[in-house]
Amino acid sequence: MVETSKEANVSSAAELVITRILDAPCALVFKAWTDPEHLMNWFAPKGCAMPYCKIDLRPGGVFHYCMRMTEGRDIWGIGIFREIVVPERIVYTDAFADANGNQVPPTHYGLSSSHPAETLVTVTFTEYEGKTKLTLRHSIPISVEERAGTEEGWTQMLDRLAEMLAVRKGGS
Amino acid sequence: MSADCLNTTFRALADPTRRAILAHLASGEASVTELAEPFKISLPAVSKHLKVLERAGLIARGRDAQWRPSRLEASPLKEVGDWVAHYRRFWEERLDCLDEYLSQLKEKERKHGRNK
Repeated sequence: MVETSKEANVSSAAELVITRILDAPCALVFKAWTDPEHLMNWFAPKGCAMPYCKIDLRPGGVFHYCMRMTEGRDIWGIGIFREIVVPERIVYTDAFADANGNQVPPTHYGLSSSHPAETLVTVTFTEYEGKTKLTLRHSIPISVEERAGTEEGWTQMLDRLAEMLAVRKGGS
Repeated sequence: MSADCLNTTFRALADPTRRAILAHLASGEASVTELAEPFKISLPAVSKHLKVLERAGLIARGRDAQWRPSRLEASPLKEVGDWVAHYRRFWEERLDCLDEYLSQLKEKERKHGRNK
């Protein structure tokens, strides 16, 4: 079953890609990522709790959650599912929110105003020798019109560039 | 710093020619003519790319109207790098927890299966 919303046609320039092999079948990994009862057990950063998590797993459905920080402060997040392919792929937007599910700017939580207001998370689950190969892409969505070219690995190029700059400027 | 500064930087970096121009400038400042050479594109096209990069704060250009050398600016690149580094750390940690949680689930399943 493939359900794709129209909004999924978004490309990105800035992309963080992480790949992991997980020793569990795709169906279980997919469930761990999309069932709140499972997600609440692992999604919160170390020392933090996830006291609230609601998932409406369908394109256009909402992913509303709360992270309770170590100092007791609550940070709410909201996502909209763009694409769901059971048990292969989920795509959702991610933004800061309040307890009522209204999106708020990153400055609401004391972050710099240059922090992107909305990011896009794509998780794919592929069967790999009886295990699951998970690929996570986290990016700042940029529409196709704004994208001039497709090229893999630009972040590596950026790293090299930053290194060269550091050498040139004496590490400043 | 404008509200969507990071977005502007990312948009400027979305183009492979502009990334190549930045890579060229990493080895030192250069004129429009020097920058146009390896890409086989027109001077106006290079100028257009330079304008986008300048608006994003990724380069600075000399005042000399004749030569106007372009120079790489480090801070927006650093900001992009910081964003990527922050979320890489965040997700690596999350995936460690997921890995651990999956082992627990499988262990439970195994015990449950044995008791049947």
